[in-house]
Amino acid sequence: MGKKTLEIYSVELSGTKDVEQTDKEDGKERYRGLKNCFHSKKDHHTEKLKKELDLDDHKLSIKELEKKYGTNIITGLSSTQAAELLAQNGPNALTPPKETPEIIKFLKQMVGGFSILLWIGAILCWIAYGIQYSMNKSSSLDDVYLGCVLALVVILTGIFAYYQEAKSTNIMSTFNKMIPQQAFVIRDSEKKTIPAEQLVVGDIVEIKGGDRVPADIRLLSAQGCKVDNSSLTGESEPQARSSEFTHDSLLETKNIAFYSTTCLEGTATGMVINTGDRTIIGQIASLASGVGNEKTPIAIEIEHFVHIVAGVAVSIGILFFIIAVSLKYQVLDAIIFLIGIIVANVPEGLLATVTVTLSLTAKRMAKKNCLVKNLEAVETLGSTSIICSDKTGTLTQNRMTVAHLWFDNQIFIADTSEDHSNQVFDQSSGTWASLSKIITLCNRAEFKPGQESVPIMKRIVVGDASETALLKFSEVILGDVMEIRKRNHKVAEIPFNSTNKFQLSIHKTDDPNDKRFLMVMKGAPERILEKCSTIMVNGQEQPLDKSTAEAFHTAYMELGGLGERVLGFCHLYLPADEFPETYTFDVDAINFPTSNLCFVGLLSMIDPPRSTVPDAVTKCRSAGIKVIMVTGDHPITAKAIAKSVGIISANSETVEDIAKRLHIAVEQVNKRDAKAAVVTGAELKDMSPEQLDELLTNYSEIVFARTSPQQKLIIVEGCQRQNAVVAVTGDGVNDSPALKKADIGIAMGIAGSDAAKNAADMVLLDDNFASIVTGVEEGRLIFDNLKKTIAYTLTKNIAELCPFLIYIIVGLPLPIGTITILFIDLGTDIIPSIALAYEKAESDIMNRKPRHKKKDRLVNEQLAIYSYLHIGLIQAVGGFVVYFTVYAQEGFKPNILINLRVEWEDSNVNDLEDSYGQQWTWYQRKYLEWTGYTAFFVGIMVQQIADLIIRKTRRNSIFQQGLFRNKVIWVGIASQIIIALILSYGLGSITALNFTMLRPQYWFVAVPYAILIWVYDEVRKLFIRLYPGSWWEKNMYY
Amino acid sequence: MAALQEKKSCSQRMEEFQRYCWNPDTGQMLGRTLSRWVWISLYYVAFYVVMTGIFALCIYTLMCTLDPYTPDYQDQLKSPGVTLRPDVYGEKGLDISYNVSDNRTWVDLVNTLHNFLAAGYSPTSQEDNVNCTSEKYFFQDVFGAPNHTKFSCKFMADMLQNCSGLTDPNFGFAEGKPCFIIKMNRIVNFLPSNSTAPRADCTFLPHYSNPLVAAKLLNVPRNTEVLIVCKILADYVTFDNPHDPYEGKVEFKLTIQQ
Repeated sequence: MGKKTLEIYSVELSGTKDVEQTDKEDGKERYRGLKNCFHSKKDHHTEKLKKELDLDDHKLSIKELEKKYGTNIITGLSSTQAAELLAQNGPNALTPPKETPEIIKFLKQMVGGFSILLWIGAILCWIAYGIQYSMNKSSSLDDVYLGCVLALVVILTGIFAYYQEAKSTNIMSTFNKMIPQQAFVIRDSEKKTIPAEQLVVGDIVEIKGGDRVPADIRLLSAQGCKVDNSSLTGESEPQARSSEFTHDSLLETKNIAFYSTTCLEGTATGMVINTGDRTIIGQIASLASGVGNEKTPIAIEIEHFVHIVAGVAVSIGILFFIIAVSLKYQVLDAIIFLIGIIVANVPEGLLATVTVTLSLTAKRMAKKNCLVKNLEAVETLGSTSIICSDKTGTLTQNRMTVAHLWFDNQIFIADTSEDHSNQVFDQSSGTWASLSKIITLCNRAEFKPGQESVPIMKRIVVGDASETALLKFSEVILGDVMEIRKRNHKVAEIPFNSTNKFQLSIHKTDDPNDKRFLMVMKGAPERILEKCSTIMVNGQEQPLDKSTAEAFHTAYMELGGLGERVLGFCHLYLPADEFPETYTFDVDAINFPTSNLCFVGLLSMIDPPRSTVPDAVTKCRSAGIKVIMVTGDHPITAKAIAKSVGIISANSETVEDIAKRLHIAVEQVNKRDAKAAVVTGAELKDMSPEQLDELLTNYSEIVFARTSPQQKLIIVEGCQRQNAVVAVTGDGVNDSPALKKADIGIAMGIAGSDAAKNAADMVLLDDNFASIVTGVEEGRLIFDNLKKTIAYTLTKNIAELCPFLIYIIVGLPLPIGTITILFIDLGTDIIPSIALAYEKAESDIMNRKPRHKKKDRLVNEQLAIYSYLHIGLIQAVGGFVVYFTVYAQEGFKPNILINLRVEWEDSNVNDLEDSYGQQWTWYQRKYLEWTGYTAFFVGIMVQQIADLIIRKTRRNSIFQQGLFRNKVIWVGIASQIIIALILSYGLGSITALNFTMLRPQYWFVAVPYAILIWVYDEVRKLFIRLYPGSWWEKNMYY
Repeated sequence: MAALQEKKSCSQRMEEFQRYCWNPDTGQMLGRTLSRWVWISLYYVAFYVVMTGIFALCIYTLMCTLDPYTPDYQDQLKSPGVTLRPDVYGEKGLDISYNVSDNRTWVDLVNTLHNFLAAGYSPTSQEDNVNCTSEKYFFQDVFGAPNHTKFSCKFMADMLQNCSGLTDPNFGFAEGKPCFIIKMNRIVNFLPSNSTAPRADCTFLPHYSNPLVAAKLLNVPRNTEVLIVCKILADYVTFDNPHDPYEGKVEFKLTIQQ
């Protein structure tokens, strides 16, 4: 068996062929996923894992163990031994997923995106200087400066992007370190509490209920110890642990407790046999993290966008290089033109802006309890088309709550909302008085003392889930339960056990005139009914006849069908003559009647959905997102919850429902009639990938029940085959492969294990499904807003590029300098483009289908064309008008400027004549040229204000959106103007910056063009709204 | 994060591209059918025609606002530039050197001067100009000259006396006493000073001061490089702009070899 078993635990994570593999071994169902995860491709890992699993520690006797690990189970290791082992084996902690070295990350930022283009620009600058220098030793250093400025720009934006990324990673790492784990260990014959990280092999540790097992432990002794192995095996039932060797397999035997599983109850002492990454869970986790992070949708979009812009830059650059050379320009000049074209074309500040925008959204999402580990995941969430959600804790509140009551032949609905505040059922009936008494008295759960100020629903209770639910329920309705119990003194009690299936207690009543004892009982409804001969209706006892029994069964079935746990309640007043006040009850001999009782009512409990979830599911539905529930729970409960939260909508039926309604066999039902499906893990196991695909495409509402966490991976892969962007929630270690595999893995912040959090892209701090939906909304908004930001940024590139083209072809004095362009791209435009990230959605973004990841691009043809050839062109024209105005008013009319370039730039011509016959020295011309730069700069800036305003919306009129709703836009506009004023008037005297003080009236020359841009765009939007689907919309909507 | 990579083979890409260029199923070329192309082209033609119109209108309006005789602003021409003839530029500024005994080294310089004077200061080119009183500004209130312009003062080459090239066609280059013409740039409505005529002052010869336009350098040391700065001395001419070496003054290096 040994070898065969070991095969089964080999893990593979990319597993595409998983499903084809069949279980070689029966009865190992719960490990199926594990096996599926492992595959021969990871031979290296598999080998290693096999070796580790050859451990036979569970078979060894205590003496052998002591010898093997050089320890003593009474005295433990000595501190020196422990220190040595710690140094040798390293700390007992999972190595975080291997991170790219910081320097590589940094260098990546330096060469990624547009940086490479700018580097080329910088190098061209230096080459140009080299050529100049070789021809003329005293050539000006301008090109060297420009090269340095470009390099500086790349380095600064690189540092910025790196810093942003580092910051967002830090959020996560601090989060991980929030709760250091402690371990109770025997060393040097002393019991000590040490951080779990310092445990070494051979340490003797003690664990108790509630602890997390600090390492892989061979148990030496145990008292009623039960562990929850669900995170490892997906087995949700608590597993008993003892010191006996019960199974050949390390994973099956009872005397091993695994690292990171939880001890639910009891205590145990054990010896550490594996620490850190060598533990079973460590090996799974390290394999999971071995899967490389592939590109996120937004990364692909950005890359696509960079390709477009770089393509435009390079092709225009080369085209004009050729034109320049064929126009008999010198190669040197042609190189300088090329630099200008590159600088004009590359939106230097944009990638930094995108990073800031994403991190702003990440912050906003963190406030809404979505902690994003990977900035780009912000947008991925927005493009999600399928969410595979856990049930317990995510869709539900993760606590049993009274949902329904049945008494007086009537079902009453209890309030299951988070605070229970609104209990509206009829409480006037006498039956309720009796029922409430039973609920209060026949209950062993108690509030932990000292919680008077805590809201009832948040108080900590000692007791099991059902009793807790009943206690809180009665406390809310009746007030101080403990006081009521005190008044009704308990004289005897039989606790619940699985053979009796009932719980019973006998009380003195609080009525001083009534000397009878009250016996109260609760338990499985059918058992309780068996014990009853009467039933209470409207406070009156009536004989239990056939019709009332029928009514009971109908109610029981109905409540059971809701997936609720139903309890029956009955009582009996013991006759005072038979049972006088001094009577001694013996619970072992049962010297009192336990039949012919009076049935009072039924009460059903469920882990209710979170109140925000149904809304969130509806939102998902209207947003075109399919919500699939994946749970380990019972299908009926799963279906009931799915129905109550809307994952299965009210009017849709499963094949089974239809069969039941039509009274035909399941096989006869036309599968197309059913919209919903409830699939169990066992059924899923027998499905081929094709069948799964069929299931996923044919049914819009799917619930997977009784699934192991490993089957999640299969489901995720199935969804991804449908070309969906899949979000998956998970908490266990075994969820980590699915979380990794998903397009966006969402770990639970409260219930989640560290491994899951490590594998996930996002952590849900409140474990609430509704938070995912808010995240989706934010993700979609950011996609829209990024579109706007990019459109805004791209527009002015044409206005920056045209001057160069005109300069080359027509030979005007250069209208705008490279440095000036950098001041637009990295100066005036930065804050406005970030401001667009604060823009509110135009319409309900949760009412449209998720973005198709291949068709709906961030930067599409329409966006590029509209920005470049429409608005960009208007801006260029506006800029030129300002430029010509300045030159003409200084004496150079437009006609004389044509082909003036060579003489204009010749520093040996110091008497160049203008249109008025005035003669200009070289420096006087140069100064005029800088004034021209400043004028063109101001022209672009003024029109960018209009551009910023029109980019607020893509379809709606600005007046529908509200001009002043986004205040940050106005901060952006103010920043633009202030920066421009500072550059012109403040720094106008620094010649290196090429800015001059511009006459005030030139600031307004481009204003008509700004207005034209606004009007033109309003007209565009108006036609888009008026004629949806028309030629206009197809060409003009981006 | 999941795999979103699309790996396509080269042939697949080519095929896709071909399909993009011509899609036989829909009759689309480059993503549009022919009629769609016509429509979109028409739109762009119209758009650009309108934009060109608007631009032309703006420039036309601009031209209408301009005064034909005086530029609106002259703030960047506060002080006139000064230039030198002959103008031979070295690595840094004007650099004139020649060998007295080798006339090939200076014949070009002499020709430059001849051409300069012939182009603007010959009797034919000055025909329409009027005689003005020396040392006085000549103001005109009306546009009396042909084509609705104003008259210029006559300035003939012979006014430069022995630097006019008439008496000595070699401008003194042959004997090592070269003439240089120093010219002040023209600025509309610019009055160099209130009453007195501006004078040129060349540092090399402190005692030599001459009214515009020509300077004859009499005793230049031979075989050494001499730096000469000629400044215009007038009330409104400045020559201390650190950025502009030609404002109000002209600097040149002169080397005369023998």
